[in-house]
Amino acid sequence: MKRKIAWIAGLIVGLAALHTAAAGQDAPDVNEIVERANLAAYYARADGRAGVRMTITDAGGRNRTRRFTILRRDVVDGGDQDYAVLFSRPAELRNTVFLVKKHVGEDDDRWLYLPSLDLVKRIAAGDRRTSFVGSHILYEDVSGRGLEEDGHELLEITDTHYIVQNTPLDPGAQEFSSWKAWIDKTTFLPTLMEYVDDTGEVYRRIEALEVQEIDGTPTVTRMRASDLRSGGFTVIEFTSVEYDLDIPASLFTERTLRSPSRRWFSVR
Amino acid sequence: MAVGLSIATPVVAQDPLVELHGMLELGVAGRVRADPLQPDDLVLGEARFRLDLSHFTDRAEFFFKGDLTTDAVADDVELDIRQAVVLLRATDWLDVRVGRQVLTWGTGDLLFLNDQFPKDFVSFFIGRDDEFLKAPSNSMKVTAYTGLANVDLVWTPVFEPDRFITGERISFFDTSGGSLVSAKTTGGPLQPLKPAREFENGELAARVFRVVGGYELAAYGYWGFTKQPLAFDPVAERAMYSRQSVYGASVRGGWLGGIANFEGALYDSSDGGGANPNVPNSEVRALLGYERELATDLTAGFQYSLEWVLDHGALLANSRNPRFEPRETTHMLTNRVTYRLMQQTLTLSLFTFVVPADDDAHVRASATKRWSDAMTITVGANVMTGDDSGFFGQLEKASNAFLRIRYGF
Repeated sequence: MKRKIAWIAGLIVGLAALHTAAAGQDAPDVNEIVERANLAAYYARADGRAGVRMTITDAGGRNRTRRFTILRRDVVDGGDQDYAVLFSRPAELRNTVFLVKKHVGEDDDRWLYLPSLDLVKRIAAGDRRTSFVGSHILYEDVSGRGLEEDGHELLEITDTHYIVQNTPLDPGAQEFSSWKAWIDKTTFLPTLMEYVDDTGEVYRRIEALEVQEIDGTPTVTRMRASDLRSGGFTVIEFTSVEYDLDIPASLFTERTLRSPSRRWFSVR
Repeated sequence: MAVGLSIATPVVAQDPLVELHGMLELGVAGRVRADPLQPDDLVLGEARFRLDLSHFTDRAEFFFKGDLTTDAVADDVELDIRQAVVLLRATDWLDVRVGRQVLTWGTGDLLFLNDQFPKDFVSFFIGRDDEFLKAPSNSMKVTAYTGLANVDLVWTPVFEPDRFITGERISFFDTSGGSLVSAKTTGGPLQPLKPAREFENGELAARVFRVVGGYELAAYGYWGFTKQPLAFDPVAERAMYSRQSVYGASVRGGWLGGIANFEGALYDSSDGGGANPNVPNSEVRALLGYERELATDLTAGFQYSLEWVLDHGALLANSRNPRFEPRETTHMLTNRVTYRLMQQTLTLSLFTFVVPADDDAHVRASATKRWSDAMTITVGANVMTGDDSGFFGQLEKASNAFLRIRYGF
């Protein structure tokens, strides 16, 4: 319950780094590494906006597309956050709005607006291991697990990465038995995550395919999540990322659910 | 996918001219059992073409959504404009939405207490998509966003009733005759008297909404008429709409990993003491709901709803057909189960309404396969069962199995 609902937005707007690199330090504390990775991946700058294109490829090679704009605003750096998503594709999801008030230490508040019915639906906080709009991204692994949910062990320091093994403290609460993260030593961005089932096999992988510096902030602009059992995968591209737009707190309210402002959701 | 016209631009693009979308849908639903009162074994047989246009400027947004339908059951071609609305962002705290629009508020799942906006109960039972349960109205909606609360005012100058069951396609129970009737047996569809198109016969709806600590609190008011022709004009000998005001409140928020909601409403009819048999009595309605995910992609929801008829003794004492009057209290339960499989491209849905005291029930079952981003196929069934005089039982012979194919662009 105290774990945060994972949430695509964290990954999308938030996957950027603190550019204060820890160069020169050797073998820092593993807790410091995972904390800095959490900030780098989910709390870049004060707010952000991105246009997102998801291409979902199933085991048979058939593609589906999701397009949306996402806005993020940090209420507290490293703490609560607001997210708003406006879908433009496919037709079935067009003008659907997703609003999340992420709370650290308690359940998030989440709403969905269905335009054909003019209906604001409340979404339960309990479904964090569920696919986000049919993609291979789960709500949880994009906004990040609560750091306190896993034991962390620094396995290895390579020339470029810290490799951290994360083992859930409550083994029954998720379908994996552990996950491993490759955290970039200069940007602190996790660039590869592998999930291991109880037979010891890697069955899920999330990898950064492209990292760009946006206004001085290293940002993942292309990534892939793969289901290694089925062969299906989702590629996520960020067509534009902007930071520090001074997005007002009042944007993350019922008004945006029912009548999203194009001014804020238009991307370059 | 947007059509390949140069004017079609994605919704997020800057300076769009006109966004053009739409869909083509084929729908067929056949009765599970024949209805001798109805000429047709199909309850639904239609091809629907939708054009969906929108245009955005800084201060104003324009939306149009029109459905052109060729209907094999009604044997005609219909244009149903579901949306033709201008949204004016008047100030940074005030939105005005004028025109034809679908409006919804409240916390129920397919149950509406304080939402007095028009519904389409024919569409609901004959196998159309759930979106058609909500019918449009020609309204002006003003929303003020203040730090204290959001305030909505909706004025519908000309009363817009529900699209109710008239005897066409679906037979219903006539309490005055004590039997099932249809448009065929009564010589035409039920045509109630509508309120005169006068200023004082418009509808006004209001909502005050605020989120407090993750809990959504709302208070509602409605001043207008019963949305269905429940009253009777003894002079004209026709069904009619009687004046009704509704006052209510709701709360919704997270609870035990799921979402809980409570909503209550007082339906204040124009029949003060309940003694007028031609006008429905006042009622108290209440709803309790809870929904949560049981396992990944498996969600279940339950609702309990109460309808409590006030002055029930006076109702029975003055009724011409006391045995067909509603009970003093009607308890209804609903259950929704949704299971998504195959990377959420297949959705299995089951929604059940039950009035246990009357053995009266309605089951909506469907399987929806998203074949591609554009193509969706839905098969399902609407089953109604119970006594002829029951709320759902009277619709038993409209029970149907349906197939819909939708191509969206």
